Amino acid sequence: MKAWRIIKRYLPYVIMYGIAFLWIIPILWMADTAFKPRPEILTIPPSWIPSHFTVENIQRLFAQWPFGRWVLNSVIVSSFVTLGSLIVSTLAAFSFARLHWRGRDTLFMILLVFMLLPWQVNVIPLFFTMTKFGFLNTYQGVALQMIAMPIGVFLLRQFFINIPKELEDAARIDGCSSFGVLTRVIIPVSKPVFAAFGVYMFNFAWNEFFWSMIVLRKSQMVTLPVGLKLLQGAFEIDYGLILAGAFMASLPSLFVFLLLRRQIIRGFTLAGSGSKG
Amino acid sequence: MRKRIGEFLYRHQGLEGILYVLPFVSLWAVFLAWPVGYGIYISLFDWNPMRGSKFVGLANYITLFHEPRFWNAFGNTFKFAGMTIPLIIGLGFAFALMVWGWGRTRRGTTAVQAILFFPYLLTVSIVAIVWKWLLDRDFGLVQHTLTSLIPSAPVFLTSTTWALPAIALATAWWLAGYRMVVLQAGLEEIPQDLFEAAAIDGARPRHQFFHIILPLIKPSLLFALVLTIISAFRTFGQVLLMTDGGPGRSTEVLALYLYRVGFDYFQVGKAAAAGVILLFMILLLTLIGVKFLGLKSELQ
Repeated sequence: MKAWRIIKRYLPYVIMYGIAFLWIIPILWMADTAFKPRPEILTIPPSWIPSHFTVENIQRLFAQWPFGRWVLNSVIVSSFVTLGSLIVSTLAAFSFARLHWRGRDTLFMILLVFMLLPWQVNVIPLFFTMTKFGFLNTYQGVALQMIAMPIGVFLLRQFFINIPKELEDAARIDGCSSFGVLTRVIIPVSKPVFAAFGVYMFNFAWNEFFWSMIVLRKSQMVTLPVGLKLLQGAFEIDYGLILAGAFMASLPSLFVFLLLRRQIIRGFTLAGSGSKG
Repeated sequence: MRKRIGEFLYRHQGLEGILYVLPFVSLWAVFLAWPVGYGIYISLFDWNPMRGSKFVGLANYITLFHEPRFWNAFGNTFKFAGMTIPLIIGLGFAFALMVWGWGRTRRGTTAVQAILFFPYLLTVSIVAIVWKWLLDRDFGLVQHTLTSLIPSAPVFLTSTTWALPAIALATAWWLAGYRMVVLQAGLEEIPQDLFEAAAIDGARPRHQFFHIILPLIKPSLLFALVLTIISAFRTFGQVLLMTDGGPGRSTEVLALYLYRVGFDYFQVGKAAAAGVILLFMILLLTLIGVKFLGLKSELQ
């Protein structure tokens, strides 16, 4: 009887921590491989503890590939996308939520349908469009369609629409133009949703793969996800090098996540439940 | 002067409204909307920017429909969706229930939640590289452990039957945590007194699950489903990096197929046609989902 009670009390912990442990194994194994000496990576059975740990794989990565440049490219593209989409989406969402004009709701419906179309699949015409603009192998070539994604307009509009009309009226009576209403009333109270959308967009751009791989064809210009694919391109698969690359590429996400865990999860929850703005 | 502009704009709100959406809408029109039309246009041509293109009508589509390789990719896409969607939603919901249900009375759930969520922040290349390595035929940790526990276990990535499920598994590891946090937020919105009232009436946990949790979480669940459908049907990176469509063509999904046709074989018209089919297939599936959800009501 007593044993049963103990089991009942601790079983949830066993299940919960067990699952978490299983879930984290791939990450631990990646880190473990990245720091193993090259000959000891390929052993049967696979072993967690090598004779010694080494940074030789990471040195090789930086010596043979422009890894630092890839990080820089990713930072530039992601910042550009985040900032750009925050600006254009805020302006558009404000208009959709607060101003009245003919065709507004029709246009918004069309945007909504486009939100459901995964543009990455449309690579062939996108490729020719970008070629015409001369945007192959450029940052704007990767970034522009991400800035044009309607999700931000949708999320921000949903939030703006719920801001009490009285606040706006008061500002109008005090002589604010629409732009004044936007900058003095709407933007100051919308900081949480900006943070959420910013986190979402930054992560989206940081991780985008399909389109980036097609538009970026010079090894100096590629972002991290595409760079990692290049590591795999050699004839003989050098797992030490590849895993070192994957490990180094996951470090920024890990650090930011450890620092801002709560905000990030909140941001994704907000962006991911869409209608719940 | 500034005040005059303000007054003018206030009186012509229509014009002003359009001014505000203009930066976004022009980007959207050029880089998202136009390419959809352009894709349909290209798909009607034997496209060749160098030597000149020839209008061929629906010939590209007809070629596709007669091509076994296209149907193979089509079938693989549905097979993959059939595996990943239940896996991701199922795991995500189970995790959400676990973290939410045990979170109030037990310690450590935040750490568990963080661990389950973290893979989502990694790019698809990292996920694919790590899982390819875990499932390596000779030296993979997961593959080796499985084979030593069950001698008859398949060698996943070199098996025409098991390679696709292995990719689905890696995808679930990647995405389930995201669905978890979204569904957890849905669970947290359920008013606590409903459970208290049910407990007073003597409702068992099982009844609470079917009569309180499930009906109230349904909208969040369906929304997660729509998002998962979209991502499952456009799967590309995992397949390219883990198996490159192989062994044979057993994991070649539609997105990979159209990439091969367009960028390796330069049959641009045909690839565009495949793109149009994939795009509208996804749109149709999600619109069915949206109708089901009644998302339209959110617009009012």
